[in-house]
Amino acid sequence: MGRLLEVEDLRTHFFTRAGVVRAVDGVDFSVEKGKTLGIVGESGCGKSVTALSIMRLLPTPPARIVSGSIRFDGRELTTLSERELEDVRGREVAMVFQDPMTALNPTLTIGTQIIEVLRRHLGLDDRTARRRAAELLDEVGIPRARERLDDYPHHFSGGMRQRVVIAIAIACEPRLLIADEPTTALDVTVQAQVLDLLDDLRREHEMAMILITHNMGVVAESADDVAVMYAGQIVEQAPAHELFHRPEHPYTEALLAALPDLDDSDARSRRLTAIPGRPPDLIDPPQACRFAARCPYAGCGDSCALEPPALRELRPDHRVRTAHPASEREAVTA
Amino acid sequence: MAAYIIRRVVWTVPVVLLVIFMTFTLMKQIEGNPFRKTERAVPAAVQANLERKFNLNKPWYVQYVQYVKGVATGDLGPSLVLRDRTVNDIVEEQFPRSIELGLLAFGWAVLLGVPAGVLAAMRPNSRFDYGSMLFSNVGFALPNFLVATLLIYFVSVKWGMLPTSGWTTWQHKILPSFTLGLVPMAYFARLVRGTMLETLQQDYVRTAKAKGLRRRRVLTVHVLRNSLIPVVTAAAPLLGYIITGSFIVENIFAVPGIGRYYVTAVSARDYSVVMGLTVLLSIIVIAANLVVDILYGILDPRTREART
Amino acid sequence: MSATQIAGRVAGVDAGAPIRQSSLWQDAWRRYLRNRGAVAAGILFLLIVVWCIVAPIVSPHDPNRIEFPDAYQGPSWSHPFGTDQFGRDLFTRAALGGRISIGIGFGATLAILLIGVAYGAISGFVGGKLDNALMRFLDALYGLPYLPFAILALAIIGTVNFWTMVVALSVASWFITARVVRGQIMTLKENDYVRAAYAVGVRWYMILGRHLLPNTLGVLVITIFLELPGVILGEAFLSFLGLGINPPDASWGSMAQDGRDAYRAHPHIIIIPSLAIATLVLCANFIADGLRDALDPRTKET
Repeated sequence: MGRLLEVEDLRTHFFTRAGVVRAVDGVDFSVEKGKTLGIVGESGCGKSVTALSIMRLLPTPPARIVSGSIRFDGRELTTLSERELEDVRGREVAMVFQDPMTALNPTLTIGTQIIEVLRRHLGLDDRTARRRAAELLDEVGIPRARERLDDYPHHFSGGMRQRVVIAIAIACEPRLLIADEPTTALDVTVQAQVLDLLDDLRREHEMAMILITHNMGVVAESADDVAVMYAGQIVEQAPAHELFHRPEHPYTEALLAALPDLDDSDARSRRLTAIPGRPPDLIDPPQACRFAARCPYAGCGDSCALEPPALRELRPDHRVRTAHPASEREAVTA
Repeated sequence: MAAYIIRRVVWTVPVVLLVIFMTFTLMKQIEGNPFRKTERAVPAAVQANLERKFNLNKPWYVQYVQYVKGVATGDLGPSLVLRDRTVNDIVEEQFPRSIELGLLAFGWAVLLGVPAGVLAAMRPNSRFDYGSMLFSNVGFALPNFLVATLLIYFVSVKWGMLPTSGWTTWQHKILPSFTLGLVPMAYFARLVRGTMLETLQQDYVRTAKAKGLRRRRVLTVHVLRNSLIPVVTAAAPLLGYIITGSFIVENIFAVPGIGRYYVTAVSARDYSVVMGLTVLLSIIVIAANLVVDILYGILDPRTREART
Repeated sequence: MSATQIAGRVAGVDAGAPIRQSSLWQDAWRRYLRNRGAVAAGILFLLIVVWCIVAPIVSPHDPNRIEFPDAYQGPSWSHPFGTDQFGRDLFTRAALGGRISIGIGFGATLAILLIGVAYGAISGFVGGKLDNALMRFLDALYGLPYLPFAILALAIIGTVNFWTMVVALSVASWFITARVVRGQIMTLKENDYVRAAYAVGVRWYMILGRHLLPNTLGVLVITIFLELPGVILGEAFLSFLGLGINPPDASWGSMAQDGRDAYRAHPHIIIIPSLAIATLVLCANFIADGLRDALDPRTKET
């Protein structure tokens, strides 16, 4: 299985009046053909900015990809012209956004919005495009697809709208689908359906997928590989199973520990574990390890207080950015 | 959709009646009986005749109904000062000129103002942006009698390019319509710029880009279409300005239209004309609002189902 | 979190967070001060007002004395704005005219606010059928074009002086404010904190007085500077047409009318008061923009 997408040392900064926000500051990951990479992290860690950077959808003042490389199927995306990008977007790489309520144009029928992407990339004529659009709606689970083509977005519920957005995204059979918190704005019951839908579609159309979320549960369900992001950097990446059973980074451990455990009867009467402190200010991030302030293992004289830890491969396919990975810690009380 | 239109139309009827009622009441407050107070002394017998002819000796509600009937059938009554002419005569003669002036002014505004706004939004904070916004600010602030005077002074008097006043050839029509169109132009430029900037921020524009649609399509189909909706709704208040402004512009450029005549009628105390013109102007404004509402319903599907 | 939210959060604005009253005003004031155009406009505005008040007091010329020999002079040291066709000093007259024009402007704007807030607040707060009826009535009023309405109002009142102008102009233009206030109140009413207040048992007048109206203040302050130009121009138009302030009293509009006939040879007579109007209106517009940006920071940020 080859690597479809390779991101290397990506840095995207926002140049605002208040200062330079280093939203993505050294992100490395890769996605394999036909597999799902889950990117987890708390709000503000830079997950969305990473996704938007790949598609180059950030407003270019104030944002800018300062350095790094994004290679899609061997092709460098950061140096493409706008016109060339227009050919990639929607056709090779597609995106599903977080808020279905605002992602669709309220004054156009959803039929129009699906057909326009079919005509743009596949050059279909009106009738074929319409037929294909109905098929797509059907595939994403919208009943009476044919009739609903002429409806407007406000005729659909949130979950339905998200399905429409997904239909538009897969319309031209992209090889990579980026889903940025696709279920965050939806009810819990609908969330599961949408995730299942994405999974089915991925397998059907042999797409690779990047699934961005702050919800560990979602990632556990759907991802093959997982990357954990913190303060603009990837701090751990491993296959899903591996990450959940043998986490290395203190942050990952803390995230997993924070999950409520319904099986443990003791746990029900205890308080939920939270991670103390807050993420660092991205205008002036710490020079050394960014998690150090909240890390239970960081000591004063440790290397992580002096210089940023590098992303290193602890085990095959398991990379960590910390001075205190679990497997290197002595079994000493913290 | 049809239901929406019908609903809106039906609602205008009571509104028009209300407006006529208010104008009527206002007029009655001014002069109980205009004939008694005119400068030229009117012999008692003639006065009584006139009163009977114009129903002035009947109770006010009867007069009101008569008047409404008149309006409905298109009869706005007689002029009180120019005894041999009716209000309708005056309107028929002068109104078309005002309409022409207004339409031309609107044309200037759309032709110059909208593109300016679009370009400014597409290059925010550029020199063009600042320049055009400054221009539009100035356009709002300068009273149109000043603009008119300056234009006449430079273009007509000094450079002799266009005539100073009157309304006969097409050259006559340029300065007055441009002067009147200046404020709407400024308004459109600002408005279009604002709505475009706002639309450009919307998520669905980002989705459109993410689909790989060509830039031109994103702009025309997704951005402009949605940006121009507020512009359409702005047309209605602009009509109010055009009416107001026409009073001045017609005055200065000696355009023989309704605006100029209104002022004359007020000074001459020809209240029947004043009332007739006011009712006419009101009906136009109401009709324009109706058209704008309907257009809005066509352009933005979300409004159609909302209860009015 | 979206990229714009990140930038917004960093710029010091937490979009969506509840805003405490004192810090809102302080923040807004600081933001206003950062807008150089708005600050300059504010200063200029104040200067003009001061000039209008002070100049006639300290001026050596009698604004109403007719001195034909001095007529039609251009700007000079003794007459910074020149003289008009009767030899009257325009500098002093313009200041006097400013008193009247600005006075009418503020007076009418205040009246507009009072009427508009009362009408809009009642309509928005009570809602339901009353709101429907009031809005229908308002729709009808929109149908009366501004200038004719003001002219009619003046005709009814009979005389034309400062106060009647204030009444006529305000009566013809309060509709927009009413609608804006109503809209604002209706939106605020839907906020959760209002529902919470109701749920805890706060009385309706307290809700109106403490939650709803203060939050409309921002919009109202902006409205002042938006309505002001309209009213000032309205007065100018009326006076220019001869239907407003009459001689010997001067308002900027009537001074412009004075200068009409002679403008070819002596344009300064009409230009001076017109520029005064334009400057004031421009300042008001800039101030309104500055206030709007100061009070709703999310609209800008490029």
